[in-house]
Amino acid sequence: MNSPLKNIVESLIFVSQEPLTLERVQAVLEGVPAADIQAAVDELVADTASDSRGVQIIRVGGGWLFSTKPAFDREIRRLLQIERKNRLSSAGLETLAAIAYRQPVTQAEVSAIRGVDSTSSLKTLLEKSLIKIVGRKKAPGSPLVYRTSDEFLLYLGLNGLDELPSEEEIAKILQEEKAADA
Amino acid sequence: MPEPAAETLPIEETPVSPSAEAPEGYQVRLDVFEGPLDLLLFLIRKKKIDIHDIPIAAITRNYLEYLDRKTEINLDREAEFLFVAALLIYIKSQMLLPRETDLAEHEDPRLVLVNRLLEYEKIKAACSLLREREDVQILQWKRNFIPPLRGESELEPVELSLFDLAESFFLMMKRRSADETRTIRGRDVSIEVKMKELVGLLRERHMFDFLEYFEANASLEEALVSFFCILELVKSRVAVAVQDELFQTIRVWLRKDAHRTDHHE
Repeated sequence: MNSPLKNIVESLIFVSQEPLTLERVQAVLEGVPAADIQAAVDELVADTASDSRGVQIIRVGGGWLFSTKPAFDREIRRLLQIERKNRLSSAGLETLAAIAYRQPVTQAEVSAIRGVDSTSSLKTLLEKSLIKIVGRKKAPGSPLVYRTSDEFLLYLGLNGLDELPSEEEIAKILQEEKAADA
Repeated sequence: MPEPAAETLPIEETPVSPSAEAPEGYQVRLDVFEGPLDLLLFLIRKKKIDIHDIPIAAITRNYLEYLDRKTEINLDREAEFLFVAALLIYIKSQMLLPRETDLAEHEDPRLVLVNRLLEYEKIKAACSLLREREDVQILQWKRNFIPPLRGESELEPVELSLFDLAESFFLMMKRRSADETRTIRGRDVSIEVKMKELVGLLRERHMFDFLEYFEANASLEEALVSFFCILELVKSRVAVAVQDELFQTIRVWLRKDAHRTDHHE
């Protein structure tokens, strides 16, 4: 592995504010085989994951991105003067999960799954750009149709919707919960 | 997630075990539940009921007990809980109806509810997994989330609402009216002219002090026109009014398109 390529790729990821995809890197580095780029990134990911570094390169949202390590959250917040980062409310998370698994969905469908009117949760999620409107359903009243956004993947550290907790993982959780109840 | 196969759905309602009928051991308030389905799932779990074979009468009774405990009235929320209560009672009535032939498995009136509960249960379980992810991710700062760094001594300017501006204006007008009770000279100032003057001033100086500017205005009329112009400029986002701290002077800045209005000094 010639190190210039690794350094170039690292710089590209550094200036990129959204996940940098292999295709984007390839477009910049004309003629460099994808396998070489991939190898360079793999090395970078491994390098930065070690304890000798404070920032890491992670694969998220289908690309690569610099992120800090969880251990330094307290100091970072002190620097940025942020008391705490708010988690989603449980209503918000539930709504988000319903959309993630059932997309594309309408407000009425989400509300039906939850048994609760979800209009305001949808609004909050839209404001946080975790979901987006992708069109209108061809149904009475042509309701808006929602999907999760790229921001959503980034927010939960996922590379794609296929990385959402699987049916098996969910079944396992349910079993554990029932075992705990028994 | 495909719908789970409902394998065993006996039509006969099984009696609830005596232990499940025992009085409530502890109190849980209604508002801890996300919604009616959440409450139902909780009851089903607490009474160790098979979700595919829910004793509708018993669960309805428990469910209604919880509704009775409500402490505050929130019509929207209550309607959702009542809707499910009505659904439970409807299902029970369907089960009580005498029929010529026994219902087939897929005709169990409880199926609608069971399917909804199973789906909701999965979403809830997924939530706990997603929450774990969120908890990890929230500690990792990514470049797109990092807000601009603030200097320690630098005060954060507060962008003012039009009401703050208006209040300052009226305060000042009051002060002025005290010493300006003479006849007002008849010099007409049009909004158009004033607007151009203000924009020109902002272009030249980038910023001016709101209060100072009005002190310099010759007449009440002119001050009023200027004030309207400033409101208009703020509203149309040509200018921005900022205040370093409460009760300090208000400065009007020309808004650069690239929202970098704070580095001109």
